Amino acid sequence: MANLNVDSAKERTYDAIVIGSGMSGGWAAKELTDKGLKVLMLERGRDVKHIKDYPTTNMYPWEFKHRGEMPEKVQEENPVINRCYAFHEDAAHFFVKDAEHPYVQTKPFDWIRGYQVGGKSLMWARQTQRWSDFDFQGPARDGFAVDWPIRYADIAPWYSHVEKFAGISGNKDGLDTLPDGEFLPAFPLNVVETAFSKHLKDHYKGRHVISARCAHLSKPNQIHLDQGRVQCQERTLCQRGCPFGGYFSANASTIPWALKSGKLTLRPFSVVESVIYDDTKGKATGVRIIDTNTKQTEEYYARIIFVNAAAINTNLILLNSTSKRFPNGFGNDSGVLGKYVAFHNYSAHINAEVEGYEEWATDGRNPAGGGYIPRFRNVYKQETNFLRGYAAGFYAYRGFKHTWEGIGEDFKAGLAKKEYGSWRVGSHMMGETIPKESNFVKLDPTLKDPWGIPQLQISVDYDDNDEKMKKDYVDQMTEMFTSAGFKNIHASTNHQAPGLDIHEMGGARMGNDPKASILNKWNQVHSAQNVFVTDGASMTSTSCQNPSLTYMAFTARAVDHAVSEMSKGNI
Amino acid sequence: MDRRSALKNLAIVVGGTVLLPRCTSHNPVAHFTSFDVTYDQQSLVHDMADTIIPKTDTPGATDLEVDKFIWLMLDDCTKKDDQKAFFKGMDEFTDLVKKTYSKSFSDLSKQEKLTLLNTFEKKPGSKPDAKPANNYSKELSGFFSTVKGLTVFGYTESKYFLTKVDVYELVPGRYNAMLPVKNNMKA
Repeated sequence: MANLNVDSAKERTYDAIVIGSGMSGGWAAKELTDKGLKVLMLERGRDVKHIKDYPTTNMYPWEFKHRGEMPEKVQEENPVINRCYAFHEDAAHFFVKDAEHPYVQTKPFDWIRGYQVGGKSLMWARQTQRWSDFDFQGPARDGFAVDWPIRYADIAPWYSHVEKFAGISGNKDGLDTLPDGEFLPAFPLNVVETAFSKHLKDHYKGRHVISARCAHLSKPNQIHLDQGRVQCQERTLCQRGCPFGGYFSANASTIPWALKSGKLTLRPFSVVESVIYDDTKGKATGVRIIDTNTKQTEEYYARIIFVNAAAINTNLILLNSTSKRFPNGFGNDSGVLGKYVAFHNYSAHINAEVEGYEEWATDGRNPAGGGYIPRFRNVYKQETNFLRGYAAGFYAYRGFKHTWEGIGEDFKAGLAKKEYGSWRVGSHMMGETIPKESNFVKLDPTLKDPWGIPQLQISVDYDDNDEKMKKDYVDQMTEMFTSAGFKNIHASTNHQAPGLDIHEMGGARMGNDPKASILNKWNQVHSAQNVFVTDGASMTSTSCQNPSLTYMAFTARAVDHAVSEMSKGNI
Repeated sequence: MDRRSALKNLAIVVGGTVLLPRCTSHNPVAHFTSFDVTYDQQSLVHDMADTIIPKTDTPGATDLEVDKFIWLMLDDCTKKDDQKAFFKGMDEFTDLVKKTYSKSFSDLSKQEKLTLLNTFEKKPGSKPDAKPANNYSKELSGFFSTVKGLTVFGYTESKYFLTKVDVYELVPGRYNAMLPVKNNMKA
C-alpha cells in the first residue's frame, strides 16, 4: 500500500504545473516544454480543441435560430455576461453564465469569464500594443502604487520573442509612447482614417492615428505555418474560434505547439483549490484540485508552479492557499494580496458624420478594427488636473444608404439598393486607472462556490480621477472632430461597471519591496520563489494599452528565469 | 378531452412551435412558450409583413416565412412587458381596421392595406425628427413598428437576401481599404 502511494505520487509529479490555459498559461506551457520540462496544465473548464470545437465557426447569419440575438430568458438570467459585447448566439457557449460561478459584488463588477481550454484568448479583441517606459515609470513619476521593478529595456526582447511567434500586424510608427515591434504587414487605414491621421499630425503635436496593431496573420511566416496556422481571411468572426488560425489564441497556437512536444499533459475539468506550501521544506510543492466531474480532491506536485488563472481567479487561488507560513494567503507577508486592483476606463464614446470622400469606400472587413490613437495626455509631463491618460480607438466606415421610411414595393426596392451613404466615424476611450488599496478582492467569510471554495467579494470602483479623464476624452475628441470638419458630433458617457472592459489587473503586484508587493521583478513570489504569477494579477499599474501582449512577454521572460534558476539549483 | 388538447391533436408541429392548418374554419390557436396566437392574429401579421415587403418579381416577406420568424422572435427574444404591449397594440389595430373599413385587415384590398399602414409612416421627405401625422397610442404605433422591424430584420437576414441580393461572404479573404466609388456606386 505504501509503495502504491509512492507510485501514485510519482505519477502525479511533474517538473512544472501551469494553472490556467488561456493567454498567459498557454505561453507558460509552450515555453516550459520548449525548454524540455514535463508540464501539467490545469484548466477548470472543458477542453476546446482547435477547429473541432468551434461549432459555429462556419455558420451563415440565417443559420442562427434568432439571427444572432440572445433569447430574452438567457438575458434575464445572465445580466452580467449579457452586457459583454461578444455575448451573442454565435459565441455564447464560450462565456461563463452568471449562475455557474457566483461571486459577491460588494460594488458592481462585471466579471467576464471564459472557462475552457484557451480561456478568453479564444474570444479576445486581439489588440496588441506594447507598453513603454512612460507606463513602467508611471507610478514612480506620478506617485501612485509602487515603482515597477522593471523598465522597458527588461521586457523589450521578450515582446519581440512573443510577437514573432504569435504574429502581430502593425506598422513601425516610430512613436515614443508605443514602441515598435516585430510586425507582419499592417491592415491599412481607409481614406477617412488617413485624413484624420493627417489632420492630427498637421494640427496637434504628439497626437497620432495609426493602424491598430493586432494579433492577426496578415502575412504568415514559416513559424506560423509550423503551428498549423494560415493567413487571416478577414472574416472578423474571431469570437467563434478561427478555422484558419488567423488570429492568435492559445487553442490555435501555444497549446497545440506544447502538446506536439509530448511533454505537456492537459487536464481540463480541474478547479484549483489551492497551492500547497510545505512548511518543513519551506516551499510550494504542488497544487490541490477538485475534479469538477467526480468532485474528488486530488493533489499534483512539481518543482515550479505558474499561476495563470486570469487576474481575479489568480487572486482567489492565492488568497485561498493558506498555511502555517502564510496564514493570510500565499506569499502575503505584505498584506497587499488582493489589493490595488485596477482596470481600464471604457466609459466614453463619440461618433459623427463626415462630409465628402465620396469617391472612396472599403471592401471586405478589417480585422484590426481601424485606427488607434496612442495616449497623448500627461506623457512627458503632468499637464492636466488628472493623472495619466487614455488611448482611443478610431474608425471610419461607409455603408449602403437605406431608408427606413415607407412600406411596399418602393421600400422593398430600397432594401436592395447598393448606393453608398455618407462616411461615419467613431471612437471609444481606453483610460488608465490608478490602483488603490481601496479597490480590492477578498474571500467571503461564509459563502462558497459549487466546489466548496470561498466566493470572492469584489470591491472595485471608479474614482474622481476617472471622471475627470472621461470628461477630458470627450472634450478633446469633440475638439479634434470639430476641427477636422466632422458633423453631428455625438459624445456619450456611461457608468458601465468595472470589469466590462475585461482588463482587470493587479492584486498580486510586482515590486522591489517585499513589504509592499507580492512578486519580484521576475514575477516570482518574494517569499516562495518556486511560484510565479504572470497573468493580469501581477500588474503594478495598468497603462492604457491593451494588456495581453504584456502578459505573454512577462510569461516567456519568467519561464526563462525559472528554468535558469532551476538549473542553478536555486529553486 | 378539453378544447386545448383537441386542438393540439389537430396541429402540425413545426420547429417546436405548434401551428394549425390554415384551412380550419373557426379560430384555432397556435401555442407558443409565452402566449397563444389565434388564426386571425397569425393572418394579420402574415398580411402586414406581405404589405411591408410584398412579392414582386422577387420573393416577398412571407415567401421567406418571415411571419413565422416574427412570432419566434416575439416568443423568444422579447420582454414580457413588450409582449403584452404588442398584443394590446394588436387589439387596437384590429379595432382601428374594423372602425375604418368594417372588415378585417386580411379582407382589405391591396391599396387599402397600403393606405392604412402608411398612416403609421412619416410623410415622405419629412425631417428626420418629424413624427407621423396620427394620434395613435404608444402601443398601437409600437405594434406596427415591431412588425415592421422584425419583417425587415427577418427579410434582410434571410438566406435568400444574403445570397441573392446583398451577398454575405463567410470568407472574404481581403480587406481593401481604398475601394474606388463613382456616383456613390461601386466603380
